[in-house]
Amino acid sequence: MNEVLEQKLSTEYKYGFVTDFEADNAPKGLNEDIIRFISAKKDEPEWMLDYRLEAYRHWLTMEEPDWAHVSYQKPDFQDIIYYSAPKPKKVLNSLDEVDPELLKTFQKLGISILEQERLTGVENRIALDIIVDSVSVSTTYKATLAEKGIIFCSFGEAIQDHPELVQKYMSSVIPYTDNFYAALNSAVFTDGTFCYIPKGVRCPMELSTYFRIEAAGTGQFERTLIIADEDSYVSYLEGCTAPMRDENQLHAAVVELVAHKNAQIKYSTVQNWYPGDKDGKGGIFNFVTKRGICLEENSKISWTQVETGSAITWKYPSVILKGDNSIGEFYSVALTNNYQQADTGTKMIHIGKNTKSTIISKGISAGYSNNSYRGLVRIGKGAENARNFSQCDSLLMSDQCGAHTFPYIEIKNNTAIVEHEATTSKIGEDQLFYCKQRGIDNEKAIGLIVNGYCKDVLSQLPMEFAVEAQKLLEVSLEGSVG
Amino acid sequence: METANKTGTIKDKLIFEFETSKLFLFGDTQLRDQSMESFYKQGIPDRKHEEYKYTPIASMLKGEFNFSTTKNCSDEQIEELKFLKGAYVVIIENGILVEGLSNLEHLPKGLTICSLVDASKSSSPVFEKHYSQYADVNADPFIALNTAMTKDGVFIHIEKNVIIEKPIHIIHIATAFENTIIHPRNLIVIDENAQVKIVESYQTVDSKAKIFNNALTEIVVDKHAIVDHYKIQDENDDFGYLLNTTQVIQKKQSVFSTHTFTLSGALVRNNLTIVLDDEHIESHLNGLYITNGKQIVDNHTVVDHRKPNCNSNELYKGIIDGKSTATFNGKIFVRKDAQKTNAFQSNKNILLSEDGTINTKPQLEIYADDVKCSHGTSTGKLDQEKIFYLQARGIGITNAKKLLMHAFASEVVNTVKIEALREYIEAKIAKTFE
Repeated sequence: MNEVLEQKLSTEYKYGFVTDFEADNAPKGLNEDIIRFISAKKDEPEWMLDYRLEAYRHWLTMEEPDWAHVSYQKPDFQDIIYYSAPKPKKVLNSLDEVDPELLKTFQKLGISILEQERLTGVENRIALDIIVDSVSVSTTYKATLAEKGIIFCSFGEAIQDHPELVQKYMSSVIPYTDNFYAALNSAVFTDGTFCYIPKGVRCPMELSTYFRIEAAGTGQFERTLIIADEDSYVSYLEGCTAPMRDENQLHAAVVELVAHKNAQIKYSTVQNWYPGDKDGKGGIFNFVTKRGICLEENSKISWTQVETGSAITWKYPSVILKGDNSIGEFYSVALTNNYQQADTGTKMIHIGKNTKSTIISKGISAGYSNNSYRGLVRIGKGAENARNFSQCDSLLMSDQCGAHTFPYIEIKNNTAIVEHEATTSKIGEDQLFYCKQRGIDNEKAIGLIVNGYCKDVLSQLPMEFAVEAQKLLEVSLEGSVG
Repeated sequence: METANKTGTIKDKLIFEFETSKLFLFGDTQLRDQSMESFYKQGIPDRKHEEYKYTPIASMLKGEFNFSTTKNCSDEQIEELKFLKGAYVVIIENGILVEGLSNLEHLPKGLTICSLVDASKSSSPVFEKHYSQYADVNADPFIALNTAMTKDGVFIHIEKNVIIEKPIHIIHIATAFENTIIHPRNLIVIDENAQVKIVESYQTVDSKAKIFNNALTEIVVDKHAIVDHYKIQDENDDFGYLLNTTQVIQKKQSVFSTHTFTLSGALVRNNLTIVLDDEHIESHLNGLYITNGKQIVDNHTVVDHRKPNCNSNELYKGIIDGKSTATFNGKIFVRKDAQKTNAFQSNKNILLSEDGTINTKPQLEIYADDVKCSHGTSTGKLDQEKIFYLQARGIGITNAKKLLMHAFASEVVNTVKIEALREYIEAKIAKTFE
C-alpha cells in the first residue's frame, strides 16, 4: 500500500506548464475604476456595470468567512490582477483560427479538441467552451447547437446577444449578497459560460467548459449560468487546470442552474487545479459558489464532482428543491494529498412536496491533507413526504492526514424521512488480504478497492470524463472497470 | 473590565452581581476573576455562535434576574423527590447543599461527600488537585460564568479500591418566585480501581418565575475505575431552564457510562464532554429526550480520543411532539496518536407532530488512520407499516403508537443498571405518552 501511496505522493503535477501568450492585463488591485475598466473592456451595457458596482459596494461591507475547516494565508485582494485576457482576442468561428500556442496548450492538457472530435464521432460529440484566465477563447459546435435553438456561448456574448435572459436569470439563484466570494465574483467576473436549452429540447451532445488559469498573479472569476426550460435536458461538464506557480492563485467562480418544469440538468466537474507542491507551497485557492434551483415540478438537478486539485477547496454545490416532486442529487469524490485542504459538501433545501435528494460523498485523504465533508439537509415545513438519503465515507491513507464530517440536518416536517450515514476507516486489511490471496498484487488490490469505493460516484460521470477522472484519481486504478 | 452597573444587559448585571458578591464566595479569587474576565470576553452566545445556533439562550436571558437563593419549597416536597430508596442522598437547593435534608450519615469508609464550600475550606488535597482543572473557562461562556460565580455544590471522593454498592443520588432542586440564575457546581473524583453509581436529578419545585440553572459537574475517573452516571432532567415546562455542563476525564483502562434522560423543561441544554486521556478506555454515552409543547432540548456531546486503543459508543434517541425543538450535536475527535480507535455514534429521532423541529449534526474529526469510526442518524415518523401490523392484530391505534414509542425508547432505558431508577424512568415515560 505504501508503494502506491508513494507513487501518488511523488507524482508531479502533469499540467504544470506555462504557455507564453501575451496577456492583456488590468493593473493589480481592486477598486471601482478596475470594475469600470473590466466592464468597458467587455463593452457591457449600463445595467451590467451597475450590478457590478452594487455587488462591489456590498462586498466591501462583508468579511471573509472563516468557519470552514481550512487554514491558509488570506489572499490580499489588492495584490490580484482582476482582468487578464489572452491575446489575440477576437471572435473565433473555427479551430483553425485558434492561436496555435493555445492549441498546443490543449494538447498538453490532453484534451485536444481535434482529438476529441476524431474519437467521439458525430453522435457523441462534446461542445467545448474553453476559458483561459477567465476569458472564453473558443466555443465549438456552436452552429450545430444553434439549429436546435440551444444557446451555448461565453457569458460576455450572452450579455451582448441575449440580455433579456441574462437579466432575468443571473443572480436569481445566487444573489451577490449570498457570501463573500459570490459578491466578489459578481463585482469582477470577466467571463464564463452561458447556456440556454429551449422548451422540449434534449441537448444532443455533452456541453463542456475547460478552465485554465494562465497568467501569473491573476484571479479567475468566471460565471456559469445554465437554464433548462420546460421538458429539456442537458448534461454539462467542467474541467480545470492551472500551471505550477509558487504563489497561491485565487479562483472564485459562481455557477447558477435553473431547471424549469420537467427539466433535467446534469452538471459534472473534474477539478484538477494545481494543488501546490509537496511542501504545500503554491496552488489554487478554489472558493466556488454553486447552486441550482428546481424551480418547477418534476425537475431534477444532479451534481457530480471529482475534486483532486487545489490547495484549498471551499465548495458546496447545492440544490433548492422548490418545485413539487423535484429531485436533487450530489455525488462527490474528493481526494486530498500533501498539504491540500478540502472543505466540500452540499446543501439540499427541501421546499416542495415529495421532493427527493441523494447525497453520496467519498473522501480520500493522504499525506498531510485535511478533507472535510460539510453538508446541510433542510426539510421545510411544507415539504410533505420529503426524502433524503446521505452517505459520506472517508478513507484515510496516512497517519498524518485528517478526515472530517460536519453534516447539518434540520427537519420541520414529520412526514419527512431523512437518513444519514458516515464511516471513516483505512483500507481494510482483510479486503487486501482477500485480494492478495487470489493472486492480485498489493498495488492492484488497492486500485481495485479504491475504485470500488468511488464507483458510486464515478459511474455518474459521462463516459469521457469518467476515464479522465479515473486517471486523475491515479491511485493505480488500471485494469478495473469505471 | 468596564465598570458594570445594575441596569443594562444581563451580561452587565452578571458582572455587577459578581463584583458585589465575590468577597463572600469560597475559594480562589484569582481563578474567579480570570473566569469572569473570560466570560466578559465571550459574552452570552447568540444564534450566530456556531455552538449555540439552535439554542436561543440569549433571548431567554432577557428581562430582570435575581441571584438570591432563598428556600421556597417545603421539606415534604423535597422528601417526595427522593425516589431512590436506600441511596446516599445529596440535596442541592438553588445551588446550595442542604445538609439537614440530605442522607449523609453512615457513609462507608473511603467515601467522602461534603459541600464544595467545606471541601474548599478544609483544603482537601484531592479537591485542590482537581477543582476546575478540566472544564476550560475559555471554551464556553457558561463554564466561565459557573467558575466565577458558583456558591456551592457537592464534592464526592471515592478512595482507591473502594466499591460503593448503593447509588449516590444528587437532587438538584430549583425553586423561585422571581426570575433567578443559579450556578451549582459539583466535583466527583473516583480513585484508582474504585466503583460507583451516581444519579443526578434536576427538578423544579413550586416555582412562579423563570429559573436558569447553569449547573456544572466535573468527573475524574482514575485508572481501572468503573463509573455509572445518570442524569434525570425533569424540570418545569414553563420555568425550568437548565444549562448542564458535564466534563469527564478518564484515565487508563477505566469504564465510564453516562445516561441522560431529558423528560421535561422549558429549555435544556446539555454540554457533555468526555476526554479519553489514556489507553484502553471504554466510554458509553446514552441519551433519551422526549419533548412536547414549546420545549427546546439541545444535546451537545464531545468524545475526545487522545490516546490509542480506546472504544466509545454513543446512542441518542428522541421523540419530538408538539411545537418542540430537539437538537443533537455529537462530535467525535480522534487525535493523531489515537490509533486503533473504535468510535461509534448513532442518533435516531421520531417526529410525531407537524410543528416539531429536529436539528442534528453528527460530526467526526479524525486525524489518525487506523481507526473505525462511524455515525448514523435517521429521522422519520412512526412506521405506518408497524402500526398497521399491530392494528391488524386488534390493537387500537393509540395503543399501537404507544407500544412502538415504548419499544423505541426501551433501547436507551434498558441501559439503566439500577432497577429502581429504571422503573422510575419507565413510569415517567409512560406518563408522558398518555
